[in-house]
Amino acid sequence: MIGYILRRLVSVAVTFFIVSVLIFSMMHAIPGGPFDAGDMPVPEEVRQKLLAQYGLDEPLYVQYLKYMWGVLRLDFGVPFQSPGETVLELLGRAWVPSLVLGGLGVLIGAPLGMLLGMAAALKRNSWIDYLASAVATLGLTIPVFVTSMLLILTFSVWLGWLPSSGWGAPERWILPIVAYATIPMATYARYTRSAMLDTLNKPFVTVLRAKGLPERQIVFKHVLRNSAIPLVTVFLPMFIGTATGSIFVEAMFRVPGLGSFFVSSIRTRDYPLEMALMLMLTLMFCLAYLLSDILYAWLNPRIRHGGGRE
Amino acid sequence: MSAPAAAPALELRGIAKTYMLREGGTLRRRHRPLQAVRPTDLVLERNGILGLVGESGSGKTTTGMMALRLVNPSGGRILLEGDDITDLGVTALKPYRRRMQVVFQDSYSALDPMFTLQQIVAEPLVIHGIGDARSRAARALEWLERVGLHRSYGSRYPHELSGGQRQRVAIARALILEPAVLVADEPTSALDVSVKAQIINLLQDLQADMDLSILFISHDLSVVRSLCDRVAVMFNGRIVEEAEAETIFTGARHPYTRALLDAIPVLDPRRRRTRIFRDRDAIEAEGLTLAAGALSEPAEPSDEPALVAVAPRHRVEAVVTP
Amino acid sequence: MTAPSAAEPLVEIRDLHVAFPQFEGTVHAVRGVSLHLAPGESLGIVGESGSGKSVSCMAVMRLLRSPPAQISADRLALEGIDVMAAGKDDLTRLRGRAAAMIFQDPMTAFDPVFTIGQQIAETLRLHREMGRRAARDEALNLLRRVEIRNPEAVLESYPHQLSGGMLQRAMIAMALSCHPRVLFADEPTTALDVTVQAQILQLIKDLQAELGMGLIMVTHDMGVVAETVDRVVVMYGGQVMEQAGVIDIFERPAHPYTRALLASIPGQEGGRRRLTEIPGGSPDPSDPPGGCPFHPRCPEADARCAAEAPPLLTGADGRQTACWRVTP
Repeated sequence: MIGYILRRLVSVAVTFFIVSVLIFSMMHAIPGGPFDAGDMPVPEEVRQKLLAQYGLDEPLYVQYLKYMWGVLRLDFGVPFQSPGETVLELLGRAWVPSLVLGGLGVLIGAPLGMLLGMAAALKRNSWIDYLASAVATLGLTIPVFVTSMLLILTFSVWLGWLPSSGWGAPERWILPIVAYATIPMATYARYTRSAMLDTLNKPFVTVLRAKGLPERQIVFKHVLRNSAIPLVTVFLPMFIGTATGSIFVEAMFRVPGLGSFFVSSIRTRDYPLEMALMLMLTLMFCLAYLLSDILYAWLNPRIRHGGGRE
Repeated sequence: MSAPAAAPALELRGIAKTYMLREGGTLRRRHRPLQAVRPTDLVLERNGILGLVGESGSGKTTTGMMALRLVNPSGGRILLEGDDITDLGVTALKPYRRRMQVVFQDSYSALDPMFTLQQIVAEPLVIHGIGDARSRAARALEWLERVGLHRSYGSRYPHELSGGQRQRVAIARALILEPAVLVADEPTSALDVSVKAQIINLLQDLQADMDLSILFISHDLSVVRSLCDRVAVMFNGRIVEEAEAETIFTGARHPYTRALLDAIPVLDPRRRRTRIFRDRDAIEAEGLTLAAGALSEPAEPSDEPALVAVAPRHRVEAVVTP
Repeated sequence: MTAPSAAEPLVEIRDLHVAFPQFEGTVHAVRGVSLHLAPGESLGIVGESGSGKSVSCMAVMRLLRSPPAQISADRLALEGIDVMAAGKDDLTRLRGRAAAMIFQDPMTAFDPVFTIGQQIAETLRLHREMGRRAARDEALNLLRRVEIRNPEAVLESYPHQLSGGMLQRAMIAMALSCHPRVLFADEPTTALDVTVQAQILQLIKDLQAELGMGLIMVTHDMGVVAETVDRVVVMYGGQVMEQAGVIDIFERPAHPYTRALLASIPGQEGGRRRLTEIPGGSPDPSDPPGGCPFHPRCPEADARCAAEAPPLLTGADGRQTACWRVTP
């Protein structure tokens, strides 16, 4: 197991390196730069000086190596849009609203979705099954910025119950969290339902019934545990995946979180911030996959105990 | 190479397959070779039906797949009608693919659900560029009739058929190229009793009509008895006995063959008996020992078991003592 | 042998109908099946796929999900208790304790995330209210009883670590753990290797005799029937065609279907030969033929067979046949 984790960590490092090269080169391949004449009407020599100051006049691979050397020492540079602080300081500041929004969104949406999925699987073809399907389909097909807009229209514009944007006071949190929670809720409902149905149709469930086990025990002891195995592999990465979904929610509700900086960093060609955000996401994804694979192996005796029949 | 006219339909010379198994923990990983098939000789005579019999893990299916060049052997030669096809590449092999076809146990997954039966049966003609669209369609319908399905089935889809009917379609598709060799891997195992007999009869009829040679892979000795001319029994990756079918059923020598025969349920409730079983490990340990004098062809005494002839056309694995 | 014993039957099925409504039309899996099992008796239910043999057993164990299954019967009882009227607690008591069941594919019959020992102990703790320790010891005994040579290791094993034969033995151990009065064995050897099949059959036979329990052996294999049971019910197209003692079935089969089935079994005589085949295929359960279900394939069928279903008539010797051409 330890060897497995070590090997996986090496592959995380390799992935991280490849992604960093890709992003760095793609970021610079897009035409335009942070100090283009259109955006910043300064004399050419000032512009050159700025470029030199930020090291943007050097060959790309030198820039990359210098940048990565900095990353190894946890120095992600200085964001162009906010030169008074380091990228790390900015991220540390912007992290909090995103964590609250994303964390609460998943913590509310995921259990609801799982409950909905479980109920749907246990009461197949009942109203709750149809409700779950409807929620899952709508949640997955309606883009989150549409959901956000509908929420703002209903609760802020028409009913006037809640503020439409901003952060800070807890009542400002409600709408963005609700909007955001629809994504995990829909996804978890769908996955849970199909995983549970899959397990319920396994022959061993019939065997459990035949030996007289009460239905409640069958579901809570056997079916849930078996359904959890395929679910863990999707759940953790999805947790991170929803973080990217929060970009739109944050933009819609003007939440000063990572998402809004993500958007602005791309728009203003803020290379250091853009790079740092992308690398952070990459690392989080890699670790989430690693963690879910470990969890999978731990839950599944077939992997935990290897071997098997010939 | 000997004169092709005299060559058997299919000959396997010392064919073997070794898989490397990964085992142990992730830190100390070892590779252990698993001999799925030990070096094996097997001859499928022209116009003959050879039953390859064994249980799971015996290597019978791997042997069949190697004969078809669907699995590459680790050693040995494969001769199809006298031509060595062991090392042929994809292009060079193509004409030989026409000469040997296969039918599997699970015909449902082997038939493309999006194709009509006529398209399915005609597909080999398309692959090998034979005829035009019209003649292919006509031949496909002919073949559907020949395997006992009405022409109107040509426009149906696999899911509309019963297991027996699907197996008929699989046979039609395999035989439309008029191959010399058919490898049939448990083609009747998934079928109901009353349908099984139909498919066995169909294979017998077609074999006689087409001068076909069939390698019939099965675990079902009853079917083998009704269908095959010769039988080879595989056990733990090697052939332990090979003889004319009736010799196997009436005069088997190897303890494993006898155990297999003894396991067949007797269709007579008056002859019920309490049986004593030995498991496969015990049979493997026991083996068979024969005195050199008991052989029909001389063989060197040896501590290693080897296939020796105990009668004309009857080979059995034994340790030979002086 | 054939007459039902005076005691109350362990299993009683009277005029059972089971249908599964489906998108393409309703599948009539069982159409008026009646059978019974006396204490200690062994009964074989033989039939091909779609004959309704498994569904009948699943129905009496109340293992069919309903809906979608539509079940109706004059009587459906285990140990004299009407299972159609039974509540959850009754069913829990009946299943596993009064009647146990083993299934075709032992590889999928165990929950993959628990050890064999945990799963056998679970049954014991449920029905025999044993403690953890006692359940474990009893599970070990049971594994010994089904002739598993290294019971300690098997107890700690997960299903994927064991062979099919070993798992089927463990399955039998689990089924027998609460001393059921009847064991339903649904094709218990079909998924196993030939030599292992014979061993498992022998084991079931031995245990049945030893424990004096009733046995219902569901199979498509006439050989299994010949080896294991006293009495046979032959099913076809969701109906009972014939019911008789095992020797009568093999030596004097009355129904044309039973006769054809026996004749078509390969390997009965030496030498390569054409087999006696039954023309055509099994009836479509969503559109069963009128009259006798076997009439389209029956060599003796006439107009009446096509028009009117023959009743299952009982002869003086207790033998039953459903055929216009046969007088019981």
